[in-house]
Amino acid sequence: MLLQILVSGFVLGCVYGLIALGYSLIYKSSGLMNFVQGDVLTLGAFLGYTFFSVLGMPYWLALICTIAVAFAFGMCMERFVIRKLLSRGVLAIYIVLATIAIQYILQNTIQAIWSTKMLSYPQIFSIPSVKIGGVMVQCESIFCIIMSFLSMFGLQAFMKYTRFGTAMRASAMDAKAAQACGINTSLSTGISWGLAAGMAALAGILLGPIYGVFIMLGSTIGRKGFAAAIMGGYGNMYGAILGGILLGVVETMVAGYLSSTYKDMIAYALLLLFLFVKPTGIFNERAITE
Amino acid sequence: MLLEIDHLCLSFGGLKATNDVTMHMEAGKINGIIGPNGAGKTTFFNQISGVYKPDSGTITFDGKRIDGLKPYQINEAGIARTYQVINLFRKMSVIENVMVGMHPRLRSNFFDSLLHNKKQREEEKNAREKAMELLEFVGLEQYANEQAGALSYGQQRLLEIVRGLASDPKLILLDEPAAGMNSAEKVELNTLLRKILARGVTILIVEHDMKLMMDISDRIFVLNYGQKLAEGTPAEIQKNPDVIAAYLGGDDE
Amino acid sequence: MKNLRLITPGKIILLAVLLVLPLFFSMIGFSYGVLVCCFAFLYIVAVSGLDVDFGYCGQISMGHAAFFAIGAYGSVMLHQYAHIPVLATMVIATVLATIVGAVIAYPASKLVFHFLSLATIAFGEIVYALLLNSPGGVTGNAVGMFTDPINLFGLELESNERFYYFGLAVVLLFLLAKYLMVNSKVGRAWIAIRENPHAANGMGINVTKYKVMAFAVSAFFTGFAGAMYAHLVRYIGPDTFTQKQSVMFVTMMLFGGTGSIPGSIVGAVLVFSITEGLRMFEQYQMLIYGALLLVVIVALPGGVYGETKKLFDNLMDRRKGGNRHAA
Repeated sequence: MLLQILVSGFVLGCVYGLIALGYSLIYKSSGLMNFVQGDVLTLGAFLGYTFFSVLGMPYWLALICTIAVAFAFGMCMERFVIRKLLSRGVLAIYIVLATIAIQYILQNTIQAIWSTKMLSYPQIFSIPSVKIGGVMVQCESIFCIIMSFLSMFGLQAFMKYTRFGTAMRASAMDAKAAQACGINTSLSTGISWGLAAGMAALAGILLGPIYGVFIMLGSTIGRKGFAAAIMGGYGNMYGAILGGILLGVVETMVAGYLSSTYKDMIAYALLLLFLFVKPTGIFNERAITE
Repeated sequence: MLLEIDHLCLSFGGLKATNDVTMHMEAGKINGIIGPNGAGKTTFFNQISGVYKPDSGTITFDGKRIDGLKPYQINEAGIARTYQVINLFRKMSVIENVMVGMHPRLRSNFFDSLLHNKKQREEEKNAREKAMELLEFVGLEQYANEQAGALSYGQQRLLEIVRGLASDPKLILLDEPAAGMNSAEKVELNTLLRKILARGVTILIVEHDMKLMMDISDRIFVLNYGQKLAEGTPAEIQKNPDVIAAYLGGDDE
Repeated sequence: MKNLRLITPGKIILLAVLLVLPLFFSMIGFSYGVLVCCFAFLYIVAVSGLDVDFGYCGQISMGHAAFFAIGAYGSVMLHQYAHIPVLATMVIATVLATIVGAVIAYPASKLVFHFLSLATIAFGEIVYALLLNSPGGVTGNAVGMFTDPINLFGLELESNERFYYFGLAVVLLFLLAKYLMVNSKVGRAWIAIRENPHAANGMGINVTKYKVMAFAVSAFFTGFAGAMYAHLVRYIGPDTFTQKQSVMFVTMMLFGGTGSIPGSIVGAVLVFSITEGLRMFEQYQMLIYGALLLVVIVALPGGVYGETKKLFDNLMDRRKGGNRHAA
């Protein structure tokens, strides 16, 4: 029982972590909040479903195509909406509201394209589940955890060892100084929005086979992802992952042992608690307060 | 003594921004603080006005301890301030800026304001008249209904000072009021400071312009690397070898 | 001198039109119009309140559906379980919403914009979850609750026409209150905080206190609007009080224009009319809100009223040969 709960908590936590990582990335690169993430997750789940089970692509190819489309979506959003608004000197809060507007537009568009029915992925792996420590664990769950960790480490490596990563870190620290050093800050900002969207879509295509694909799949996860990001320390990469996993496990534990009625409230209660009492989060990220 | 600052200390990380500073200031005088760039003048100012909380030491104003209070409480206690960077309420009219400055002296509460009762209406009428009088004091009365953000730079500086005066302070802190002013405006500022003093308001001023400071100050305090280097009349300061060394050796402005 | 004229010929004509509007609707056989107006009235109250909080004091709230819910559920539950007459329940529930607003606003007042929006969203979600899974099912959970019309000292407002006149009176009262508040020391303090919180603090304004005050006032407005909603529809269910509702309030406020009294009116009326007019496309409702919000942010940053006023002012300016302050 405990192991089973831990596994499903971890799966959910990894998904929160991926979403929260995107929030941190965007906050670091443009100081903004992006409410679209959750619905990009939904988009990823639907796209993955379409590529994999409608168009008959192999799963790995569907995965890559989904991420690529989401990456392009994220970059376009940054380039054609966010940057336009920033260059006009619009208040940050209006830009955050604009992302909420885009969230609703995206949600409704997905609904118009794929209808409101719940879809389910055909089986991906030849063996449905494996036995670990006496409990049956879905292969998709293990795959989800492995892929999440791989992409988190991949992102860290990307930030640390590639030219783009260095540029992004530099422009996050001081955009003007980075520009003076000849770094194309607008490109690196665009890439971070793209990466954030890519990770959200990855979370979607990983989660789809486990939870099923439906229109509201991502919006709740997107909102709870904020709780994960705040808990870890908004803007902190490690904090995002830790906060995500913590939230996933706590939520699943509460649902499993206490009552599933108030499961949905846990994330929001934690979000408020951290914002009011410890806004800098576990990793004491300073970015958040005035 | 109107303002007594004793053994004030504040550090940021390892940097001692204010290091055991003691200054006593008399009422009815123009007190000046000078010092090379990075001497910690604005940090010092921000502790008096409550923006920063000192690590140790005391600030006593008019017999009451004010260190560690919030900015609004320090304003209520009778210390007004202006800012180095212009900090007006840009979208409010000029006269409304002054009336915001009067805020701590207006006694109407929320329900008086909601009902616009007699007490509130009279208070508002008097406040508006007084604001107008203050604007006349600095010659901004014809701009009363302009947006504050539409004024020229020099006018905005004046409005900052008037907004500070609106709360009837006993002491006004002026953070580089002459920054960006031309020489004619500086002469006017000098006259204005005397007029403010004549209203019974003591002045504490931080300024880069040495000549101006020597002309206007009654007493000058010199800060260097967060410590008080010297204090005295302008004539004494000009002769002080430590001060000369600090200014010649340091990165002079 | 600032123009503080409250009653103008234009306003009297508008009021006269509003007074005979239900008769006009019944003459042309469009009784549905009266109901639309009733909804518009309560949205005007809610959005005007949100504007006090955001337009004047500069604090965003993405969770005002929670106060709408406290007003609605509070009134309905007090009536159902304590048998208090409906008008009194509305007032008590509104006061309750105000208190909850003040309690939330106190810790929230320290947060900067984005994080304030997160906090208010989380608060809204918690209230929604409580409605859906209330202890002992007192809210009727997913089923919701039925209730009675407003009882105005013995007069039941059971017809839409009666509610219309009640609603109109409430709107006038709330708008007058807003007008008086923002044209006072309190309003000046709010605007000063919006423009520059640090300078406001330096000028002797207790920023936390005034932020809490603005938030509580807006909770009062929105709470009362919620109570009006409950007794107009006479049924409430959790679906009315989701985050979508909060976003609708914000859309209305921004669409009309912030920091003014007419802006909130224009926004509430226009956005509600647009969504009503496009009822046949209900499955695209969120798309419509999203598009409206995006259009306002991208193309009309001052809102419909704000931008129109700016245009008009510029025109007047040119006519007067730049002597803008002659009036």
